Amino acid sequence: MPASELPTISEICHLLDSDKIRRLGIVGVPPLAVISTLNERRIEILDLDAMLIKADMESTVTILPRVYCAILRTVVLNAMHLELDAIVIDTGPGKCDSALYVATILADQLSIPVLKTVNLDNAPFGYPLCRSEMDLTEKFLAITEGVKTARRTGTAPPPCPPGAGFWGVPPRDFSILAPFPPTTHVYGWSRCMENKTPADLALEMHINPAIPTVFFAQSFCAKTALARHLARLHPRALALDIDVHTTSSAKAKIQAFLELSGVTA
Amino acid sequence: MILADFGTSYSKFLDLGAPTPQPSIVATRELPRNLRVDLATGHNGKRFGGRYLNELTALARGAEALIPEPSYLILDCGSRDIKYIRYRDGQLQDMGWNAECGASMGFTVELLERYYNLDFRRLPVPDKSFSVTCGVLGLSDIFDAITSGTDEAEAVARFVRGIAINAYRFAGSPAKLYLSGGLCDNPLFVKSFPCEVEPLGRFVLLAGLQHTLEHYPGNPA
Repeated sequence: MPASELPTISEICHLLDSDKIRRLGIVGVPPLAVISTLNERRIEILDLDAMLIKADMESTVTILPRVYCAILRTVVLNAMHLELDAIVIDTGPGKCDSALYVATILADQLSIPVLKTVNLDNAPFGYPLCRSEMDLTEKFLAITEGVKTARRTGTAPPPCPPGAGFWGVPPRDFSILAPFPPTTHVYGWSRCMENKTPADLALEMHINPAIPTVFFAQSFCAKTALARHLARLHPRALALDIDVHTTSSAKAKIQAFLELSGVTA
Repeated sequence: MILADFGTSYSKFLDLGAPTPQPSIVATRELPRNLRVDLATGHNGKRFGGRYLNELTALARGAEALIPEPSYLILDCGSRDIKYIRYRDGQLQDMGWNAECGASMGFTVELLERYYNLDFRRLPVPDKSFSVTCGVLGLSDIFDAITSGTDEAEAVARFVRGIAINAYRFAGSPAKLYLSGGLCDNPLFVKSFPCEVEPLGRFVLLAGLQHTLEHYPGNPA
């Protein structure tokens, strides 16, 4: 879809300035101006990329192919089952082409407004959480929670020397994060997410060759190509893709990689 | 002290308490359910082991015990999956474990040998190969080739060469690789790699368990 056919950010903000909208779903990282409007109007934000309900993923196969990005399948699952007044989806380079198609499908399937945006925000907010010493699951929960607010992160823990690296998007299944030590630094799109610059490819490609790093992407996501490319460039790397759930072989790969790299939890 | 590598099709044992410890092999389906060993690895290892060591860690430790160079790639081709570990200057560089799309290649090779009554020691490496990503999907190529008039042995040989090339590419197309696993005993498979291959046999993971006991006390806990 040509950008000229998309509503402008100010048009979206105007559409959201309505008493009818109390509960809204977001996909990806919508522009800061949109989040600001939602915060000002105290509209409840639900991150549809996250696992919000326990419904069977198979119920999405009538809408999306079974072999498809598990995060976008989760978006559809959430959208099908949650009571929402509207959805805002980033369909630009900060998310992916597939999100554009999912937005189009949801707009046809749902009776609520599904608003497509392109987030090209480039004002950096920083990424203190990504460099802090904190349980990695807690770290990712804090990073993903940050997408709902236009404010800077509150008091983040101080930075620590990196013990390991995790590059990629926030995984659908957070159990993949359990084996990593709290000193794991977060790279890739997750860092862009905390920085509130989701389309910043240079930041997404930043790696630290000095520390063993797992390059993660969801199976069937275009980012698997970038994950593998960066893993080839990195001297101590494990490229990994996971679909809906973390398999025992995926957990074993991470465990062995960290152990053989001398990383202790 | 009994060590064991419980594979999908075959299990390998080493009794360190024997006067002259020698590895032995038993078909996994023939194992008694109440069997227990002291230290185990492999796909079925958690069912039988008092302590368990991750398969990739066992492979790396076995390579550490058996390969003298500081830089190498070891590729393990088993019944169910393929996995590799690459070291550079004594430091882990990368690794891979293809348990899904590399599924059942070794198992399928053994089935084919029996079904078509072939002897892989006598089959020459064919000029052509199938593009094989999975043992199950590769069967269709064999049946299609036979239907088109290709000799059965030639069709199976193309399949075997195809899985060797797939495993080689999965491991990053190295100039040389050390080969581990049951397929080391298949000369057609070993000769089908487009690179230098040094087979280490099917007891590398057992060597890894023994090396772990001797050099990594406390691992696994």
